[in-house]
Amino acid sequence: MRSYDDELKQTIDLVGKGQIDQALTQHESNNTGGDFDLLYYLEKGELLRLNSQYNDSASAWLLADQKVNEWENEAKIRAGAILENVGTVVLNDKTRRYDGHDYEKVMLSTRLALDHVLTGDWNAARTEIKKTHEREAIIAEINAKDTEALEQESKEKGISTTFKDLNGYPVETLNSAEVTTLKNGYQSAFSHYLAGFVYEALNEQGLASPGYRQAIELRPDIKILEDGLSTLETRPGLRKSSETDVLFVVESGTAPTLNSITIPVPVIVSNLGVIPISFPVLHSDTSHTLQPSTVGIDGKNTLPLAAITSLDTLSKRALRDDMPGIIVRGILRAAAKTLSQKALMDQGGGVALAGIALNIANVITESADERTWRMLPATISIARMTLPSGKHDIAIGSSKQSIDIQGSHAIVVTRLLGNQTYWSQPAYGPQMPVYAAPAMIQPLKKVDGSAINTPAKKSKKKKVKKPVHQAQG
Amino acid sequence: MYKTNNVFKATAVALLLSGCATQSPTLSSGNVEYGDSKAVESLTNEFGSTDLQTIAESMASSLLQSPALFAKSRPLVTVAEVKNRTSEYIDTKSITDSIRTKIIKSGMVRFAVDTSAMQTQVDELSRQNQTGLYKKSKSKKMGNMEGADFRIEGTITSIVKRADDVKDVYYKFSLQLVDIESGTMEWADEKEIRKTSNKSMF
Repeated sequence: MRSYDDELKQTIDLVGKGQIDQALTQHESNNTGGDFDLLYYLEKGELLRLNSQYNDSASAWLLADQKVNEWENEAKIRAGAILENVGTVVLNDKTRRYDGHDYEKVMLSTRLALDHVLTGDWNAARTEIKKTHEREAIIAEINAKDTEALEQESKEKGISTTFKDLNGYPVETLNSAEVTTLKNGYQSAFSHYLAGFVYEALNEQGLASPGYRQAIELRPDIKILEDGLSTLETRPGLRKSSETDVLFVVESGTAPTLNSITIPVPVIVSNLGVIPISFPVLHSDTSHTLQPSTVGIDGKNTLPLAAITSLDTLSKRALRDDMPGIIVRGILRAAAKTLSQKALMDQGGGVALAGIALNIANVITESADERTWRMLPATISIARMTLPSGKHDIAIGSSKQSIDIQGSHAIVVTRLLGNQTYWSQPAYGPQMPVYAAPAMIQPLKKVDGSAINTPAKKSKKKKVKKPVHQAQG
Repeated sequence: MYKTNNVFKATAVALLLSGCATQSPTLSSGNVEYGDSKAVESLTNEFGSTDLQTIAESMASSLLQSPALFAKSRPLVTVAEVKNRTSEYIDTKSITDSIRTKIIKSGMVRFAVDTSAMQTQVDELSRQNQTGLYKKSKSKKMGNMEGADFRIEGTITSIVKRADDVKDVYYKFSLQLVDIESGTMEWADEKEIRKTSNKSMF
């Protein structure tokens, strides 16, 4: 049976060595047949992005987005039917269609927005950001209904097992203070801060404000997040037209792996005794990627980086929230399997052989769902500074890159993985969206229709610079 | 040929019978329906279309009764930002756009270009005057824009509370009219909205 974790480990190893082309080839060879699933597009989009193929990356992610849309449309109808048909399902969770974890669906829109920004299409980024809010609202609604249905079903079936009762399960991974203090398993401070930044760049302070505010609510007491909101109204007046408000986004490592652990669980349903059931366990990134704490600018300034979103923690919170459903489904599935096997064995002869075959099939198929978007970063950190527009030497960790920053706002995205640093060269940002450059208006000295001595407007070519990607060791 | 003629005749008869000559064709999968844009929307307790319409209606009618606004004939008004103090992504510009549309339809007020549209205005003037593409006699001259008499500005705030199975959201939309020359506030009004929902809605 296909091991998703093994496949991605090889791909990530290649990325960590700077061999993106080989990683892409490997990814394609692991996925043949043409009927690609959500994960294929999620991982492919990330690989193409690291290869500075932002348009191709966006195309792959838009195909992933179509699949998430399908899920949204179906989920809105079936919300509250979380356990539908579970009693008759013999196979386990990993045989279900992969719809993505909730935080992955949200991060997909966020990363699509980043792709659009990197190609200079801030309005397309705005569309994706708006989609993020709508997606979060749908997830919240579906989760609320599913939780209610699950509580009801658990009560009816007399299932009160929680992950803390699973003897041998690494409870601490889901029970740390970082995990439990998160608001939920899908909203990230980075997504909302990015929303604030994009809305601000497009001169929509009314929408930027809740972006920064929600980022603070999700990660309180982080100065850069608080500054985002507190200086929102004064910032446009302080920045000169020759300056660029730059957001540095530094991503490091990879999202955790999902593995399977089998634990004997007492199955009260039909008094079936203790049955081994598989559960997913998250293991943090082992790529030993540096998580930098500063960004160096032109060898002079050093900006502190604030780690505002941990996909490691977010995924653990998501699993913690999913565990009640996983446990109930696991118990009901185990009961259904055991009962069908028992019925066959009781009939004896050739039918009993079918029972033995079913038992073997159960052993083979019984492992937890290991699928997860592995190429997401483990941590996302940000720094922000207003710089004179133009070229700057940026240093992150041991890697340096000359970045040309133009427009009123720009986002510089850097990804660290293994010993590699992947830089993005931002396309030109939006040009002064606010009327704040009165020098552009030269009121007429003469109004008699004679010579109008207004200086020619300085040429502002909005050409999109070809993104530069450089992997450095 | 025989078949073609028959098909043609059948189609023509069908068109005549159905009266399609006077109707637009309809393409439908049967899964999409148009609804009443004014229908009360209460799908979730987040800010929605009904809230936007209620606020715009209430504020526009209140503002149109303000004596200060009509002390002079067809005063020039500009719309400043409505500050969003909530944690919700409420497009406050959409609210002020609706208010402005309702007021401008009264014909008693004129609106000056607001800050968000200023760059487009400047670009257009620059294009007409500085590119050399336009006849000087036909291009709109720089320096003739009119300053607004009044400024409309405001805030939207919310208080969200959750208790057991209930979520209560209270919105307050405040709008004011400021005389730009004197800096005096000439009119102000508020619209409050309260929405309560049970657990399955949040």
